[in-house]
Amino acid sequence: MADPGETAIGIDLGTSYSCVSIIENAKPVVIPNEWGERTHASVVSFLEDGTVLVGNSAKRNIITNADNTVYSAKRLIGRFYFSDEVKKAQAVMPYKIIEGENNSVRIQIRENVFSLPEISALVLKEMKAIVENYLGHEIKKAVVTVPAYFNDNQRQATKDAGRIAGLDVLRILNEPTAAALAYGFGKDITQKIAVYDLGGGTFDISILEIGKDVFEVLSTAGDTYLGGDDFDDRIMTWLAENFLKVHGIDLRLNKYCLQMLKEASERAKIDVGRDGVAKIGVEGICQDPTGKVMDLTAQLSEAEFNKMVMDLVQRTFKVCDEALQGAKMTAQDLDAIILVGGPTRLPIIRTSVKHYFQKDPMAGIDPDEVVAMGAAIQASSLLDSKSDHYLLDVTPLTLRVGTVGGYTDKIIDKNTPIPIEKSKSYTTNRDGQDKVKIRVYQGESNKAGECELLGEFEFSGFRIGYRGEVRIEVTFEIDTNGIVNVTASDVETGQKTSCTIRLSSGLTEDMIKQAQEKNARTTLARGEAAA
Amino acid sequence: MTDEAFEIEAQALAQILDELDYFQILKVGQAASPTEIKAAYYRESRAYHPDRFSTLPASGLKDNIGRIYKRINEAYVCLREDSKRIKYLADILGGERQKKLRFVEASEQELKKEKEQEVGATPQGRKFFMAGLADMAAQRFAAAERNFKMALTYEPNNPNFKAKRDEAGKLVKTDMSVR
Repeated sequence: MADPGETAIGIDLGTSYSCVSIIENAKPVVIPNEWGERTHASVVSFLEDGTVLVGNSAKRNIITNADNTVYSAKRLIGRFYFSDEVKKAQAVMPYKIIEGENNSVRIQIRENVFSLPEISALVLKEMKAIVENYLGHEIKKAVVTVPAYFNDNQRQATKDAGRIAGLDVLRILNEPTAAALAYGFGKDITQKIAVYDLGGGTFDISILEIGKDVFEVLSTAGDTYLGGDDFDDRIMTWLAENFLKVHGIDLRLNKYCLQMLKEASERAKIDVGRDGVAKIGVEGICQDPTGKVMDLTAQLSEAEFNKMVMDLVQRTFKVCDEALQGAKMTAQDLDAIILVGGPTRLPIIRTSVKHYFQKDPMAGIDPDEVVAMGAAIQASSLLDSKSDHYLLDVTPLTLRVGTVGGYTDKIIDKNTPIPIEKSKSYTTNRDGQDKVKIRVYQGESNKAGECELLGEFEFSGFRIGYRGEVRIEVTFEIDTNGIVNVTASDVETGQKTSCTIRLSSGLTEDMIKQAQEKNARTTLARGEAAA
Repeated sequence: MTDEAFEIEAQALAQILDELDYFQILKVGQAASPTEIKAAYYRESRAYHPDRFSTLPASGLKDNIGRIYKRINEAYVCLREDSKRIKYLADILGGERQKKLRFVEASEQELKKEKEQEVGATPQGRKFFMAGLADMAAQRFAAAERNFKMALTYEPNNPNFKAKRDEAGKLVKTDMSVR
């Protein structure tokens, strides 16, 4: 047993909710907060007096303290300011999303500006505090999970968030892999399984082969623009359109009405999934032009709801097709299906999954907690040199370099086991050239515009010679976190060249250091009283 | 295995890594079945997966393990897929084995270049090369050699042209000696 100071925690940092777990008596357990809550809204609310609220109490502030309450930060983390997701968020989020240096995204709260990793770091700080309060000693190490389909920028930003929160991030772990680990851990089984993970903002499917001590990911596929939030949006549109038809007022034009509408939609989704029908009632959602306060009332049946979201459900199965193809399998080859994420509680998802895989999903797995539990298992195993299971994970996206004319060349295929490296050599194409610029992308298209740009690396410090004379070998490495490292060396002299990243939404070491100090100074107003 | 013995083994393996082919990396025979390859991959992962050494401070041993394990993954990616494995085996059994120990998938550009080199990248080069091939088929080796030499004046660096010229040249000689 590792000494108590060496406890490492597993954190599921979700789009909507987060959860934290540790190993106790050789079993993963979810740690509730002081008020018995086992999952915590990934919401950060900045109060007037400088204190900060995180979790379910912060979520209650989305309407009353809308401008200063940040939610769904995970949808924005690791994105460039010019991306569609950011534009979409700006239209619906009540908090202020602004542009930072190098095309990065920042959140402005009153006169303070935060990077996305800083916001997520506050959620992580709360998770850390929950365990510290429970155990009575400080926690320094953690495994943090991310959607399997997250790209390098998103993984790097999540790792930065952990560091800012004062955590040594032992591993960035893929959520479906974590779920598979929690499912298979300690069971002596040999199975091929699929993990269907529909979260608040992202969808992942991973196909794994698990044995007594080995968890091998055969393939993974996903959609980082598809989650439970999109189901809420469908209900929201339906409610707003009906209200507009009856009263001539578009509730979506006012950000406060929009928040109330959003909250009602989320509740309706949960109710309709549980009870087969949802009664929606929001008192005082807006005022008509004469100043009369108006209420929103509606009833949503399961059949109507299913019709609204059918295309979203179908989209997940297109992704499942892709994953099965990547694993060279058909649905019949699978022994078990594991459902992860709150939205998988919906009957429409369960019946559709059963229909697609021709198999009942596994019962007895909590879709909200299983990822954190898997993260705790991995965290504890990384601290224990005698641990006897091992994870063989893959990179979800093809790594590419930019070539001439807006095209890209493949470097490392998707679904390649990690860690892995590949080298490519370049020659100078001008006399006296002293720099080589390489743009690195992730994605499945040979057109640069259809891939995600990771960054532009500029190598310098190699010998200067005539054109074609100097050869530079560039090595692309994907580490066990799924994070990409690029280095270059002069082939002839073996001299390593220096590298500057010119285009990147990431934080510099200095920025992380400052953010760490700011995070440490921030007081979390913990507790029900604070809300 | 003791820690010390393992450390020595890892260091020895890291040193000769660039001289080993993928079958040697996974410690399987060249005729190994897919099941054997997977079992070997699991066995080597059990020994060298970096997670097993995560508690070690940064050291030469850790670097060696990192290098070895990346190569194990590289070997597995190639050998688990029939099409890649067949090409790889042909590569390492052919000439220049040392240069072909690490599998390289031909990029689209390279494939195009290869095709051009096979039949020639210039219209004149192609014309003489095709004529040479016809001469070879009709066993007119001296004429074939002349045509390949002509083709080479248009594309002096085409390896395929050179190979055919040499082949024809050799046949001319044996032809003469038989007579």
